[in-house]
Amino acid sequence: MVFFKKSISERKGRVAIASFAVVLAVTAITGLLGITVGIREKLGTELRAYGANIVVYTEAGAYLTEDFGARISAMSNVEEATSQLMANVVFENMSFESVGLDFQQIKGRGWRLSGNWPKEQGEILVGINLKSALKLEAGKRIKLVGQGNSGPGKEFLVAGFVEMGGNEDNAFILSLPDLWSITGLAPKVSAVLVRGMPGALDAVVANIKRDFKDVSVKTMRQVAVAEDLLLQKIQLLLALITIVVLFSASVSVASTMGATVLERRKEIGLMKAIGATKKEIGLFYKVEAVFIGLCGGIGGFIIGFAVIQAVSKGAFNSFVNIPFYIFGAAVSIGVAVSVFSSLIPVRGALKYNSAAILRGD
Amino acid sequence: MAFIKLDSASKIYETAQALRGVDLEVEQGQWLNIVGPSGSGKSTLLNVIGGLDSLSSGNVVIDGAEITGLSEDAMAVFRRERIGFVFQQAHLIPYLNAVENVMLSQYFHSMSDEDEAIEALKRVGLGHRLTHRPSQLSGGEQQRVCIARALINSPKLLLADEPTGNLDRENTRIILELLKKLHQEEHFTIILVTHDPFVSQWGQRIITMEDGKIKCDEFICYL
Repeated sequence: MVFFKKSISERKGRVAIASFAVVLAVTAITGLLGITVGIREKLGTELRAYGANIVVYTEAGAYLTEDFGARISAMSNVEEATSQLMANVVFENMSFESVGLDFQQIKGRGWRLSGNWPKEQGEILVGINLKSALKLEAGKRIKLVGQGNSGPGKEFLVAGFVEMGGNEDNAFILSLPDLWSITGLAPKVSAVLVRGMPGALDAVVANIKRDFKDVSVKTMRQVAVAEDLLLQKIQLLLALITIVVLFSASVSVASTMGATVLERRKEIGLMKAIGATKKEIGLFYKVEAVFIGLCGGIGGFIIGFAVIQAVSKGAFNSFVNIPFYIFGAAVSIGVAVSVFSSLIPVRGALKYNSAAILRGD
Repeated sequence: MAFIKLDSASKIYETAQALRGVDLEVEQGQWLNIVGPSGSGKSTLLNVIGGLDSLSSGNVVIDGAEITGLSEDAMAVFRRERIGFVFQQAHLIPYLNAVENVMLSQYFHSMSDEDEAIEALKRVGLGHRLTHRPSQLSGGEQQRVCIARALINSPKLLLADEPTGNLDRENTRIILELLKKLHQEEHFTIILVTHDPFVSQWGQRIITMEDGKIKCDEFICYL
């Protein structure tokens, strides 16, 4: 033990250089592993802004009930489910499409908004195309009546205007209870918009079809496929970079360790001459390599962790959660790179004729 | 029965033949010096006896054990049990102090014992240099550490390859006096390679090597 301690403590410079090579390798690998794991979560969050990727509905004229949304939400691989009701409303004797939904659930999901987001019932959004057609302004109060409903209708405050590039641009957007109140359709909904986990959409669709017999389920293929492809490509790219970095880092560590071992050829020759077996000499250097790997692995993880957080902060304006196994993986990779990198030069040095080494040949 | 016995020992390197059918017997406790010009095969002969080099043909028996066919690791174990080495260059581990360098030999033999290592250094006159590193020791002192290291495990055979080759006359005499004293006390066998006529007169027997053969074998008066 004393020889090992001395070998480390009295050769700080050499050990630091070898450890630094491992630190660089592990920093790069920790960063890539962390980004690979963390970025999926972050990208998933970002991609959620694109909205639902599965629609559950019934045939024309029929409705689902509100509890469908809650039941689908509880399914595995489902991030969330939002119920929507489509119905016609009358404004100034003209019929318009309207959508009833939960404003809180869809807030910030890619809706281009001018004005304010509705804060409470009685406030609505209006599709951007209706703004000029109907000469509406934010803050104006308008009365909507459910088409085909004999009720008196209700007065609403226009909170803002939305632009989605779809049918919503020609519709009134109300809270679900408000639309129910003027159409009398409570607790019916037209569709449940489901946000399934990217990569597990087929499983979600199968589960919904299994549990709900009389519904139609449609995957919004373009969104789903694009998300899946994007994530797959990013992961593949990161995996390739990780392999290249791991390989080049190993070569770098191997050359550093190789140079260190070559410097110690006489030491190895001497050990052989005084009766050390190859296994005993190999163990001596392996223990040292494990120590260097541990130091480099821990140091590399700390730096890599900081790099990941810096990248995440810059790209997503938030920090990323790194699972503990990444720490274990980083340290293991550090030790493995260090040990395997020293194996070849040590084996090479063990093959030398100790008499020749000690003569200085 | 001879303590060391070489039969028709030959060693052929890629470009030269270092030993040509050498026959040699050395008695237990004998001090044998090997002399001869450069390239005569004297160091090769020493390395073959110590198992640091292998024979191309012939065989070597030491203390009743045939070592010719031993694997490298088996030879290492044999070496640590029965042979001590002293080289021309000190070959001390630079980051270990004198005591630790001696203890390294104990470590591979059985167990490190600091008190024993200190005692061994005191016997070679280095009781005041125990914690000095090689860089803080003179050439003669370094060589004395090597002798302490070579003898710490009480080997039956000490092999010394030009142990005074890098030393001045005064230090050479100190080393030889030390070897003589230890040899008389412990009765181990010494085989010492040298090209220095002064050194070769220390001991009990001189063989002269030339072109891979023993040209002359003479017993001398033990100084």
